[in-house]
Amino acid sequence: MKEKKAKLDGGKLLQISGAVFWAFFGVRKQSDLELDASTLTPAQVIIGGIVGAALFVGSLMLLVSLVTS
Amino acid sequence: MAAVDHDIAHAHDDHHPTGLMRWIGATNHKDIGTMYLWFSFIMFLTGGVMALTIRAELFQPGIQIVNPELFNQLTTMHGLVMVFGAIMPAFVGFANWQIPMMIGAPDMAFARMNNWSFWLLVPAALLLISSFFVPGGAPAGGWTIYPPLSVQMGMGMDMAIFALHIMGAASIMGSINIITTVLNMRAPGMTLMKMPLFVWTWLITAYLLVLAMPVLAGAITMLLTDRNFGTNFFNAAGGGDPVMFQHIFWFFGHPEVYIMILPAFGIVSEIIPTFARKPLFGYSSMVYATASIAILSCIVWAHHMFTAGMPAAGQLFFMYATMLIAVPTGVKVFNWTATMWRGSMTFETPMLFAIGFIFLFTIGGFSGVICAIVPIDIQVQDTYYVIAHFHYVLVSGALFALFGGTYYWLPKWTGHMYDETLGKWHFWLSMFFFNLAFFVQHFLGLAGMPRRVPDYALQFADFNMISSIGAFGFGLTQLLFLYVVLKCIRGGEKAPASPWEGAKTLEWTLPSPAPYHSFETPPVVK
Ligand code: HEM
Ligand SMILES: [Cu+2]
Repeated sequence: MKEKKAKLDGGKLLQISGAVFWAFFGVRKQSDLELDASTLTPAQVIIGGIVGAALFVGSLMLLVSLVTS
Repeated sequence: MAAVDHDIAHAHDDHHPTGLMRWIGATNHKDIGTMYLWFSFIMFLTGGVMALTIRAELFQPGIQIVNPELFNQLTTMHGLVMVFGAIMPAFVGFANWQIPMMIGAPDMAFARMNNWSFWLLVPAALLLISSFFVPGGAPAGGWTIYPPLSVQMGMGMDMAIFALHIMGAASIMGSINIITTVLNMRAPGMTLMKMPLFVWTWLITAYLLVLAMPVLAGAITMLLTDRNFGTNFFNAAGGGDPVMFQHIFWFFGHPEVYIMILPAFGIVSEIIPTFARKPLFGYSSMVYATASIAILSCIVWAHHMFTAGMPAAGQLFFMYATMLIAVPTGVKVFNWTATMWRGSMTFETPMLFAIGFIFLFTIGGFSGVICAIVPIDIQVQDTYYVIAHFHYVLVSGALFALFGGTYYWLPKWTGHMYDETLGKWHFWLSMFFFNLAFFVQHFLGLAGMPRRVPDYALQFADFNMISSIGAFGFGLTQLLFLYVVLKCIRGGEKAPASPWEGAKTLEWTLPSPAPYHSFETPPVVK
């Protein structure tokens, strides 16, 4: 999730991927949440979530192919 | 959630339609909610009678009460009736009653569609149940209706397919209604992140329903055309693939199990803070955990198919993914526990059910993780271990949350307090008999007793007898629940607007019973 931060508008992407990562884990600091809620749009979080899910599937597949090779 | 500016004195005359038309033409969310709840309770008793017949047959080895054909019909129909007839509609009933009151809306967004989604359930249920009486009897290949059995069976199978289609359409309409209501009809100031957790879990569940139900519809439509119109989607002899059905079914099926548990998480997340007199610990992480469970639930389906034949890489992928889904689930259990930590707790019946839920759901979660480990699952798949797992998550999970929620909101619904002593009896008896019935099934499964069999080898006799005694005790205890609810409807101590001192959500600002039309002028949430 973190490799992409450098490209476009670094700070925002970092913030989105952070929000998505912590969402998958299920924990989020209250202050960070408030920052997200005020600065990120729902569309950004939803697209971030879908991208995050795809990355999650991809990294699991990578892990599996490493384990089975 | 927040302080409310609402003029309770604003007296509105409660004119409403009476007689039969009140129910047939119902557009009021409270009336429709009531019908959903009674419908699901009737289905719960219907499915319960089937379960007790199964347990009576399994009380002793040998065939005593039902023949094997009927036995298989009973196990299949028990599953279908409980999943689609009891648990799912019960949560929709809660949604109808509670969501408008909890977000300060006057009703659901599409009142007539709401009526339609309820009334569709009635013909669907009749169609499903009457399949017992047609030639060939009810579907008997298991609630998962796998081909080839489901392609070969008699017309009862077609009736079940139509029933599922209708129920699916009803669920989708209900979900559209819930999504629209939550997104568009919140009172001023009720931002998304101020919504009660029950509303959040239902919003996410509704999206899951919209995603999952059409997949089921696709699977059973293919089944229908395979059966009646000569297609060969699942027929190996015609070039089809029966395992494809399993993939499609479980792509619906695993999200479906979360459809049945997320609203339960929501109810428990309302009850625990009230009776611990503390705000929910980690509210936002609960929202996040629910959303991530919903997303992850779509990529774990093949853990139901480890023994169906799959490359090792596939087994590992679904094993890892399934085990990771336990992380956000664990976060929830942690948050509920942290909410109770150092709270000033009291143990009224809703709280007892909520705590029972946490204990027993955790057991079910752990046995789920155990099933997710491929080498173990190859041993326990299709045994009583799996039966024990999903009854811990569905009965002591979903159903206990429904009981807790019923006791919690009964004062608001009826205007009377329920009988606390009897409520506690209901809890403790349910707790005792549930574990008696289902804990021993772990042992049966580990010892190798297969599921869906009417007879078994002698070494399984003792635990089966214990399990059957527990099941009958549990079943009879639910008649006590019916009695407590009826008694509460008919009278009892008058309930104040907010009988629970720790309750903070909007519905408690309304008088009890909640007026027929509530929040016609939206409250202002600060
Ligand atoms: C920690 C979360 C969970 C995990 C890791 C998990 C894992 C599993 C696995 C691996 C199986 C397949 C076992 C087999 O057939 O051999 C299974 C079956 C099942 N689970 Fe879960 N589960 C979890 C939570 C739930 C919840 C919350 C529900 C419902 C409320 C549920 C309902 C079911 C049902 C109904 C089946 C059996 C389906 C059938 O074959 O008829 N599970 N679970
Ligand atoms: Cu599953």
